[in-house]
Amino acid sequence: MTAVAESRPTRGFSPAARLRGWIRNPWGRPRFLVLMTWAYILWSIVPVLIAVQFSFNGTRSRTVWDSFSTRWYWGDPVDSVWHDPTLRHALVQSFKLAGADVLIAVPIGVLLALGLARWHGRGSGASNFIMLFPLVTPEIVMGVALLLVFTELFTFVHTGTTAQILGHVTFSISFVVVIVRGRLFSIGRQYEEAAADLGASPFVALTRVLLPLLTPAIVASAAVVFAISADDFVISQWLSKGGETDTVPIRIYSATRAAPLPSVNAIATIMMVSTLLIVTLGFVAWRVFTRGERKEGAKEELGAFGM
Amino acid sequence: MYRRWLWPSLSAPGVLWLIVLFVVPFYAVLGVAFGTVDPILFQPVPIWNPLQWNVGWVVEVLHRLAPGGIWFDVGIRTIVYVAFSLALCLLIGYPVAYYTARHAGRLKGIILILIILPLWISYMMRMLAWVNLLQTDGYVNRFLMFTHVLSQPRGWLEGSSSTVIFALVYGYIPYLILPLFASLDRIDRSHLEAARDLGASPWSAFRHVTLPLSKTGILGGAVLITLPMFGDYFTPNIVSPTPKTSMIGNQIDLYFHGGPQPTVGAALTILLAAFLTLLMLYYMWSIHRAQRDVGAVGAL
Amino acid sequence: MARGEIELNKLTKEFAEVRAVDGIDLHVHGAEFFSLLGPSGCGKTTTLRMIAGFEQPTSGQILLDGTDVAYTPPHHRNVNTVFQNYALFPHLNVFDNVAFGLRRAKRPKNEIKQRVGQALELVQLSGYDKRKSSQLSGGQQQRVALARALVLNPAVLLLDEPLGALDAKLRKTLQIELKALQQEVGITFLYVTHDQEEALTMSDRLAVMNGGHVEQIGAPQDVYEDPETLFVADFLGVSNLMEARVVSAGAGVCRVALDGYELETRGTKLDVTGAAKIVIRPERLELEEHGTASGLNRIPGMVERLVYVGSAVQVIVRAATGESLQALIQNTGKGIPFEQGTPVQLHLPPDAVRVLPFGIGDEPSLKADEPAEETAATT
Repeated sequence: MTAVAESRPTRGFSPAARLRGWIRNPWGRPRFLVLMTWAYILWSIVPVLIAVQFSFNGTRSRTVWDSFSTRWYWGDPVDSVWHDPTLRHALVQSFKLAGADVLIAVPIGVLLALGLARWHGRGSGASNFIMLFPLVTPEIVMGVALLLVFTELFTFVHTGTTAQILGHVTFSISFVVVIVRGRLFSIGRQYEEAAADLGASPFVALTRVLLPLLTPAIVASAAVVFAISADDFVISQWLSKGGETDTVPIRIYSATRAAPLPSVNAIATIMMVSTLLIVTLGFVAWRVFTRGERKEGAKEELGAFGM
Repeated sequence: MYRRWLWPSLSAPGVLWLIVLFVVPFYAVLGVAFGTVDPILFQPVPIWNPLQWNVGWVVEVLHRLAPGGIWFDVGIRTIVYVAFSLALCLLIGYPVAYYTARHAGRLKGIILILIILPLWISYMMRMLAWVNLLQTDGYVNRFLMFTHVLSQPRGWLEGSSSTVIFALVYGYIPYLILPLFASLDRIDRSHLEAARDLGASPWSAFRHVTLPLSKTGILGGAVLITLPMFGDYFTPNIVSPTPKTSMIGNQIDLYFHGGPQPTVGAALTILLAAFLTLLMLYYMWSIHRAQRDVGAVGAL
Repeated sequence: MARGEIELNKLTKEFAEVRAVDGIDLHVHGAEFFSLLGPSGCGKTTTLRMIAGFEQPTSGQILLDGTDVAYTPPHHRNVNTVFQNYALFPHLNVFDNVAFGLRRAKRPKNEIKQRVGQALELVQLSGYDKRKSSQLSGGQQQRVALARALVLNPAVLLLDEPLGALDAKLRKTLQIELKALQQEVGITFLYVTHDQEEALTMSDRLAVMNGGHVEQIGAPQDVYEDPETLFVADFLGVSNLMEARVVSAGAGVCRVALDGYELETRGTKLDVTGAAKIVIRPERLELEEHGTASGLNRIPGMVERLVYVGSAVQVIVRAATGESLQALIQNTGKGIPFEQGTPVQLHLPPDAVRVLPFGIGDEPSLKADEPAEETAATT
């Protein structure tokens, strides 16, 4: 009996035949799926890369490439991000809202996560339900609700930065709770019990043992809240009173409907890079803090972090 | 070990915040929608007492949404856009999620990062990218003319349903792929091996094992994207800013930011929220049913 | 009173509708290695957790050296626990883990350093101070957990199935080490396990638990050789159980009848009449050649199969009375003179046979109710 033939033709065949063989290989991975996945990834990411590229365009066009230039970032004395006050203020406002959001939502969310995870008495079910609701509410409904409450009921707030911060925190709390609670469940009660067993009062067990173990989740949720807040459009727009309270997404939105310059690409790129940096930092911090707890081959965390 | 009042106390700040800034605002919407309008100032007059609620405006909005009303077309159009977008997202997203979960091998981590990446890129940035590409002198037109598909540039951004659907798909598909991936990843390899061992072809194993077991993922992802999609107004406004491609969200937007008639806007919002709640309940029921079936399979 | 004495009085714990621990009474002496043995769900872990302070009893007392600590919070009790998963703090290294309790007690720095060093030396892990728990093997982690608990000089050490996660060989080694450690340190060890061999190896005394109550307490030898209930007989080791009818019962000797054979058994203080079960351990069941001179307590049988287990051979015999009995023959290297499918004679030495009443839920079959026939004529 002759040896089993090679599973696909390689040497001695024309490139076309080899390609056909590669595609038809019954032992190989499904080629159609491979092609489709990579086509999707390219379709998903390349347009953004092109937009980033055009933020460095030498001319005023966003569609025809001329030469590399940083004029839209700081070079152009009128229209660059550095010099154009509307763009600059939008950047500042976006960071302001995101920063305030993190500082307020994360502590409230961590406490809420701890409380909800351990509380089993009356009211815990309803509280849990209230916490989950913002996650499934469409943004426009929330935007309308917040706008009306600040103009018809809590009129001392009106629209503006305060309203925007209040709105951002409201939808961010739930994200913090979900992330921190997941971590709480995987930790379990054993460390607090061990601490109590060794003489730690409940307060010490919470602060010296549980909180340090929650650090990766807290850091990760801070990164997530920053990203969500920076990306937010609907709530920010509905609670904005124009001018300086417009954020970067709002500027991009209004710009795309007018005749934008590549400076819009530039501001979008700046925001995107900041967010990606912070998310990566958060993810790296998570990995570093949980280094001691991981067994070999645990890749599931990537998916979990993608929320 | 811990005092019983500890956990409710820790929850209190968060719960209070959410009540004041989430539950109460919803009540504000109800108060305005079921309120009246000052005839002189054209300002909404909210009514806070449920017993005195005025259903006039909500009824009016219902009329406009019913067949023959001025918004009937918009409503139907919204449903059609969402349905097509969901279908396309599934058609594209399922193979990608499937490949990543089951066949990616060593590249799984990298591909997963690349798939998660768009979630962290601002939605506006992603729309901006396509707005640039779809300009009359943008790369899309230039490429299509270069390959002789088109003889002259098309106005993709001048009011076309397909552009809106395309943009919706592009924008929302990452949110579908992730839960889909998670559910496909969870399927135990031994189920598939058992199917093959019992004589199923690869396609048959997929149809009879993988697909049913991924139903909860499909439903979860569908919920995750259709609910927000129904309220989307910025996507049509960016890629197709004409009334003939407007969605329900655009109407709400109009009545708050156009010539403001908040009462009408509030009424429409309530109806939208009611519709979405029904949709949500349907999804939850389907997921519950799907999980029950999977439970039976798992017991085998 | 000896240090480390535990007394449980009518200790009860209910969860919702379930009684996990049903009014148990227990007395553990100071400096004793005492085990709680039972299947999962029998209440042994719940009992341990109540003694540690992580669960509050529904009713009853927990007396530690005379003081009722049932409602004292865990950080005020002078007991320490070695957890099933060790629960070493992942964010602290070995030294900080072991020092944790001392720091909570605000001991001075040099005292902490000295005591931690001694504790690590005790468990043979000197020099491992700076390691993180993720860098340690399972056995090493367990020893750090031990050191962490022992460094505080508790009156009682509670161990919740600490060897469960280790492989068989390591488990055997650590069993011996734990027992030696207990004798060296001289404090009470309260050990929870479902592995009867483990309990028999290490304990000074043990309590067999089932369904929330204690079935029997005693030294390993007593519990193994003199089981007082069917459950204990069946849970420890292999028991050969046969249904029989009691002819006469007494403290010195009993007579039972089964299926036409009459046997003499060990005496019992238990109240046994009518239908009962008799039990004999495999290693006490003797096998004789078929047709040898019969006498007291002999039943013919057929060898069903032989199972080689390394140091011994299990011979499964179907007795003429119908039951399948297991005999254990040590492997002396001279071979086993019995073959599968051949007839053989079973000899049940009278003082190796115990009579036990039927347990709750155990119903006697009709056979045991048949009147004894004439003793079978010897052939």
